[in-house]
Amino acid sequence: MKRFDCMKALSARLKDELVILSLGASVDEWYNAAPHMRAASLFQQQLGCVTPQAFGLAAGLPHRRIISLDTDGGMMFNLGILATLGNEQPKNLFVVVWDNECYQSIGGPPTHTASGRVDIAAIARGAGVDNAFTARTLEEFDAHCAAGLAADVPYVVVAKVAGTVQPDIKRKHSDGREDKYIFVRHVEATEGIVIMGPSEHN
Amino acid sequence: MKQSAVDAVIRGLKRAGVSVVCYLPDSLFKELYPALDADPDIRTIRVTNEGEGAAICGGVFLSGKKAALVMENSGLRASVEPLARMGLGAGIPVVMLMSYRGELGENNWWAIPHGITMEPVLNALRIPYSVVREEDRIERAITDAYAWSYASYYHSAVALGGEVVR
Repeated sequence: MKRFDCMKALSARLKDELVILSLGASVDEWYNAAPHMRAASLFQQQLGCVTPQAFGLAAGLPHRRIISLDTDGGMMFNLGILATLGNEQPKNLFVVVWDNECYQSIGGPPTHTASGRVDIAAIARGAGVDNAFTARTLEEFDAHCAAGLAADVPYVVVAKVAGTVQPDIKRKHSDGREDKYIFVRHVEATEGIVIMGPSEHN
Repeated sequence: MKQSAVDAVIRGLKRAGVSVVCYLPDSLFKELYPALDADPDIRTIRVTNEGEGAAICGGVFLSGKKAALVMENSGLRASVEPLARMGLGAGIPVVMLMSYRGELGENNWWAIPHGITMEPVLNALRIPYSVVREEDRIERAITDAYAWSYASYYHSAVALGGEVVR
């Protein structure tokens, strides 16, 4: 199963949602797989922060569906967030873990999931996220997207994807700071709120 | 902490517009956490480590709500990675309120590292902070931290020490 194909399937289901996503090649893949979601997606470059940030966003905007596009390396970096989700039970958070069993962006050395013994979905269930599943085919993944985007409990799908990257895709040129402004302005416009307002005159 | 100091912290957070508090409990603030939990205007989120709490606070910022990360100062060390990434990489601010373990007067050997490392770690990350040891300065220190972080879009911190916490 290719991550890019999964992204296109998920992208086709999205309209008003907000997305926070992880680092490496998945950033450029999502940029290309979901062009209509570019302003609605916060492209981050960090391990262990993506799902916690998505949960914080979900807590702040409880009426809005939030999607975390995390990775096996990123989730293993901070497994504690699964226990926090298990206790907090956010009604509007759908977590996808792209599990390619490797640290792809640095050339592909294996993550802990490559051993076949470490099961992130089982860890999530043990942490109190009852709806946590592993998808191995595009059809399974798409069905979990449908369920996860409609769920009123936290929903985790671990997508077992190949360690390859979609060839010949357009690279995103913006950095984390520009990405934040684009995302914040999108949230402001769609929510009718001010997050980063004008300076005081004093 | 005295009840009056707990009240001052909560007044400061409310005046700053905070509606979400992430915390990992510690002993010096032990009276503060149940008071935050009981406050109807504040949602508390208990976390498994302070770095996770920092990242959740970053997400709350992106929603337009205001969050605080409340912890012992040892939690600063656990938060360095997400703070550096979010703050220096993206300009996503986190305001921290921490107990000052390990300052002069500390009588626990295990807390000495917290006192030795807190200010150098804050300085390494270029995070401005105030150390408050008088109760009547708590509220203003908290609102000042929010004013600065929402002008700079960078982290700031308030450490409560001295008679405020002992």
